[in-house]
Amino acid sequence: MVAATRGIDRGRVGTDAVEEAFAEDLAAFVRVQTSAGMDFFSDGLLKWQDIFRPLMGALGAKPHTLVRWFDTNTFFREPELVGPIPTVTNPDGVVADPSVPRPRVTTLPSPYMFSRAAHTDQDRNHLMVDLAMRVLRPAIDAAVASGSELIHLEDPWLGYFGITRDDWAPLAEALQVIHRDLKATLAFHVYFGDAGPHIDQLLRLPVDAIGVDLIETDLAALGSGWDKGLVAGIINGRSSILESPDNTVEVARHLADTVRPRNLYLSSNCELGYLPTVVAERKVLRLGEAAHKVKELVSV
Amino acid sequence: MTAELGHTPLLTHEVGSLDKPGWRVKAYAGKPLDDKDLEEARTWGERLTVPEYEKLLDLLQHAPFGKEQKAEIQRWSSLYALRLEESAGLDVVYDGEQQRTEMYDWAVNHTNGFERRGSVRAFDNKYYSKAAVVGPISLREPFHNAEFSYLVSVADAELKIPVTGAYTIADWSFDERYDVDTDLREPAADRRRKRKAARRDFVLEVARNLIRPNLEALIGLGARWIQVDEPGASTEADELDLFVDSFNASVEGLNATFSTHLCFSDYNLFFPAIERMSQCRQFAVGFANYDSRELGTSEEARPGYHVIKKFRDLPYKPALGLGVLDIHSDFIESPELVRDRVLYAVRVFNDPSRIHVTPDCGLRTRSWKVAYEKLKNMTAGVELARKQLGLT
Repeated sequence: MVAATRGIDRGRVGTDAVEEAFAEDLAAFVRVQTSAGMDFFSDGLLKWQDIFRPLMGALGAKPHTLVRWFDTNTFFREPELVGPIPTVTNPDGVVADPSVPRPRVTTLPSPYMFSRAAHTDQDRNHLMVDLAMRVLRPAIDAAVASGSELIHLEDPWLGYFGITRDDWAPLAEALQVIHRDLKATLAFHVYFGDAGPHIDQLLRLPVDAIGVDLIETDLAALGSGWDKGLVAGIINGRSSILESPDNTVEVARHLADTVRPRNLYLSSNCELGYLPTVVAERKVLRLGEAAHKVKELVSV
Repeated sequence: MTAELGHTPLLTHEVGSLDKPGWRVKAYAGKPLDDKDLEEARTWGERLTVPEYEKLLDLLQHAPFGKEQKAEIQRWSSLYALRLEESAGLDVVYDGEQQRTEMYDWAVNHTNGFERRGSVRAFDNKYYSKAAVVGPISLREPFHNAEFSYLVSVADAELKIPVTGAYTIADWSFDERYDVDTDLREPAADRRRKRKAARRDFVLEVARNLIRPNLEALIGLGARWIQVDEPGASTEADELDLFVDSFNASVEGLNATFSTHLCFSDYNLFFPAIERMSQCRQFAVGFANYDSRELGTSEEARPGYHVIKKFRDLPYKPALGLGVLDIHSDFIESPELVRDRVLYAVRVFNDPSRIHVTPDCGLRTRSWKVAYEKLKNMTAGVELARKQLGLT
């Protein structure tokens, strides 16, 4: 797909070649997830040029200025959100290809990150609620209708830049818009930063699970007796070093015993898009191996 | 940069890469060339008056190509790119990095201690290849000598050699050598401390054992102006001091003029750290990407350039390579828009000899047609500015 998209940009191949390459890469990624025994299947966002692009496409907006994606060598097109936000009616871009097995996980930007990363003339907290209502909720409903049972809202903004006290209530309001009557599990995943200082507030948010970047967060800071699920970002999506399954199992057991979340989801700490495909696939397999062992231990 | 160039007001130059022509890419990859490729070689050969370009056309019709023929085709590609820049009117040129695979990949492929891992998306449909450091770092062989020697023999204009910097090479690599024993059960603060120390060791080893010996080799061949490219420099806001240390470790005491290229960052982050980079005689920085396309020389008209005041105030008074072309867009900046960006900068600096004029970054994501039009308008815009300032 890398070669095909490069080729189409330079006018050397047609759209058929890109579609063919996409289908091949997606099939390979599905095979890896199946081999790893994943409980939820992703399309890997392979067609997404950045996390906002399909949503901006659904809004009919053109890509804007390139901006560095936190402290990575990846760049995103700043969402241009000037003026009233229309309600999205055709969010097909976020719906996974029919070849992706069910149940599926759908990853989207959290309303907090979306509102902060945007180029806008609006009050960002007002925009956050508006985005939840007019953009994210329709997209999520479309994803759920097509087999998503886990909605994974990613929020590196909160992890990297933090959040002010006054922003928590509008964030809760925005998430409530998404969570109300949702027929899927809603996870809010903080990464690229230490979630420790925010745990108490995070646990008050109207979501079913909280995701934490364990590369940046102390296990001890998570506390115990959660009444929500924990998405444990246990695999480092920014390092090419493969994690030891035994160590991953130990950490997972520790989390199960001490944090005692309602559900424990094992995941990478962030997207795996910062890794070459072959490394990402090996990490998925390692994650599956570790999850399998943890499940065996728990069932004993 | 010679002493003479250093005092040329509104000196123009490119920043680094240009797209590689289809005939060069296909020939090198062993893929068949078609009529379109040959036509491209003919058209640009004519337009740029490349000497004896018919020999290239003849060569391209004799596939398959052996190693020496591929090298010859790469040299032709260098010559075409050089002529494109000279024909556009640039004062200082290079070859658009035609003989390199890519700025990162080329460097690590000539280095001991790295292994390739694969491609990762940078933005849109643009990817770059990443390697991991796995062992002691050392220069396998000087990796710009061949291209530089060739370009010296054919260039009419002054040359400036772009060289990827140590911080960027480390930042764009995976670390499988310095920070390997991560146990999530350790306190996060301890893990962060270890990571930071490992990172420092990695970056400085690249500077001392890879970049510096490569620079020494170029200087030995007569290189006078070397641009250390650091697009990754501001990736981690708390590592600006490390970036500066790596630049200084790379160039300290070497007998050439050094500049650096920074792009697509919040440039405020670089201050005050770069106050310690006194051997850097020019910062080539991308601004057009953040600027308005409307004409005007007022503060309000030039929102992308406000930060240049900080570069003006650096104590060692380096020149500023003012990025005036947005390299992520096919929009062709008019000479008048370039002129206004330049006039704004000259007014802020109150010294035209400290303003050089450049694209925001390398133009490799643009077609040659677009790149050529942009560069020609850039030099035309500089002429307009020179006239207005009474410099001609």
